[in-house]
Amino acid sequence: MATKKLRRAKLSQELCERLSRYQITTCQDFLCLSLLELMKVTGESYRNVQKLLRKVSLACAPKMQTAYEMKVRRSINPSAAFLPTSLHSLDKVLHGGIPCGSLTELTSPPGCGKTQFCITMSVLATLPVSMGGLDGAVIYIDTESAFSAERLIEIAGNRFPTYFDSDEKLFCMTRSIHLYRELTCDSVLKRIKSLEEEIISKKIKLIIIDSVASVVRKEFDTKLQGNLAERSNFLARGASLLKYVAEEFSIPVILTNQITTSLSNGLAIPADLVSPAHDLSLSEVTGASGSGKKESACVTAALGNTWSHSVNTRLILQYHDLLTRQIVIAKSPVAPFSTFFYTVEKSGLVLQVIHS
Amino acid sequence: MQRDVGSLPLSPALRARLLAAGFQTAQELLETGPCGLSKEIGISREEALEALQVVRQECAGDAAKTAGGSGSTRKCTALELLEEEQTQGFIITFCSALDNILGGGVQLTKITEICGAPGVGKTQLCMQLAVDVQIPECFGGVAGEAVFIDTEGSFMVDRAADIATACVRHCQLIAEAHQEEDHLQALETFSLESILSHIYYFRCRDYIELLAQVYLLPDFLSEHSKVRLVVIDGIAFPFRHDFEDLSLRTRLLNGLAQQLIIIANDHKSAVVLTNQMTTRFGQNQSMLVPALGESWGHAATVRLIFHWDNTQRLATLYKSPSQKESTIPYNITPQGFRDVQPPPVTQNAEGTEMNPRKRPRREEEK
Repeated sequence: MATKKLRRAKLSQELCERLSRYQITTCQDFLCLSLLELMKVTGESYRNVQKLLRKVSLACAPKMQTAYEMKVRRSINPSAAFLPTSLHSLDKVLHGGIPCGSLTELTSPPGCGKTQFCITMSVLATLPVSMGGLDGAVIYIDTESAFSAERLIEIAGNRFPTYFDSDEKLFCMTRSIHLYRELTCDSVLKRIKSLEEEIISKKIKLIIIDSVASVVRKEFDTKLQGNLAERSNFLARGASLLKYVAEEFSIPVILTNQITTSLSNGLAIPADLVSPAHDLSLSEVTGASGSGKKESACVTAALGNTWSHSVNTRLILQYHDLLTRQIVIAKSPVAPFSTFFYTVEKSGLVLQVIHS
Repeated sequence: MQRDVGSLPLSPALRARLLAAGFQTAQELLETGPCGLSKEIGISREEALEALQVVRQECAGDAAKTAGGSGSTRKCTALELLEEEQTQGFIITFCSALDNILGGGVQLTKITEICGAPGVGKTQLCMQLAVDVQIPECFGGVAGEAVFIDTEGSFMVDRAADIATACVRHCQLIAEAHQEEDHLQALETFSLESILSHIYYFRCRDYIELLAQVYLLPDFLSEHSKVRLVVIDGIAFPFRHDFEDLSLRTRLLNGLAQQLIIIANDHKSAVVLTNQMTTRFGQNQSMLVPALGESWGHAATVRLIFHWDNTQRLATLYKSPSQKESTIPYNITPQGFRDVQPPPVTQNAEGTEMNPRKRPRREEEK
């Protein structure tokens, strides 16, 4: 780790004292200097400085594993690799469901069903492993105050009526969903930093942040100078903390995002597109929002390009016609582009088969 | 022997003392001897001995260099380089169009950079290359191992296993078609387990771990001398946040590039880096350009940019010292990185000189 103090890197005491006079106390400070600078501050010869560099690097570098060892570890515990979404066709294409250990993003225009999906996933995570759940608690970070406990109970009762047959079971499930209302970027970041300890103490198996975009776009007006860099900074820091937590505990992380109009003036600029699935005018849009394909500015997921690189899986929800919506797998390391149709009902999201 | 004292790799304090005492060349130091040196500049005899050993080694190294031997500077004629380049292997990508525009595949001893928007296939190509570098020589590969340094967490073991299985299957079909002894022998050791065991995976979570890992890489490669490919998936990600001091970032990236060039040359391996795209705001439009700034563009020898054209994925060779700029389409299939259409079949009835990578199409390929 970067902030590791040099004394723990097995450097001699006197060397550490000498370096601290130059304000070099952590491995990060040490490794950021060039060889000549290191020679100056340590007072050692070229060869010795190289040996010191190797020692400090050994303290910071990650451990090696072969891909085979990773595969064996996965196969020992196959059910812990995915969280099934209970939408069977979607799960099949995604090779099991929402992947554990990486970030999954859900993007859509308002009202498509992101929060419904998140509530459904919360219920699923609390189910026992035999029913496809993770048998654990959920942390739900709500920035829009959109979470409704009544809807949670309605979905649970209607989707799994045989399991939630008593009030006792419903209350037990609701007790394992920890809801945090955070309304500013700072508080969201603080909450993310505190996640590591909460996961251990409360046995958390799923983290949901609904939604990242609303709190970020409220605070950072990208037209003002400097805000774009600050926003990217905040997002990147949040993303790397979440990735660390997701990988360390091997749990899924679901984030929601909004749709924005990209900065083109009437021309669909392909070079600007992150991917064709993001150009919603290219996919089958008819009826409610289909005022004509490819004529006006194209819509893309918000929060910029850097954020798109940080998430590993991206699902886009959009309107198909008045009642049905569709879910598109836009980015996934294991699945190709696919589209599924669904409606939102009492039991949450239900997949439909459209016969055209 | 006439080397100036100020250029010797001694500690700065010692150097300052020697210069203050009036020493000018290395010869003088060696003539004085450790006892004389310790008395003259006031250091202990052990320190003086150590310093003289360093000086002697440096001078021996210099002498060897001027004789044209090994060392950090190499001298050879262009003809020798040509012969070397022609016998050098390439790492194929299984997409023959891409191999063609690269001049045969990903070249060893060079740094190749792959830039692209998220989701376009950079990590897929990296996983494909980590498998393809292990293809035995009789099938047209370089029979090497791979180091995979992951900074974004996008390496999926299951996907790598799928790609490896498809590659083994491909080689098995070639072996069936040719029925040669060395093919069948090579296939015995070329299996899913062996491929995955020879991909050495490092997960670096921030730029310090990445720097530390690259410092340790030469030692690792000396121990694992069969490594022919080093992949750093996501060189941009750790450097794009938490960096207020952009000049420090440029300096660290330059240092990183230098070390990677040394690694590529000394260990005869290919280095593949993936980069992100960032949005640059022009006057009235915005375009996607590779991240990490203009100066980073000089680091890689070969630069490929992956992008979309409606629903087709395209790869453009943007920078190469020997091939011309061109664009080709490619596909990502369940078997991995592939062409858009199957490559043309070269049938040879006598069976002589058939390209070991291609095989006659018998049944419909999915």
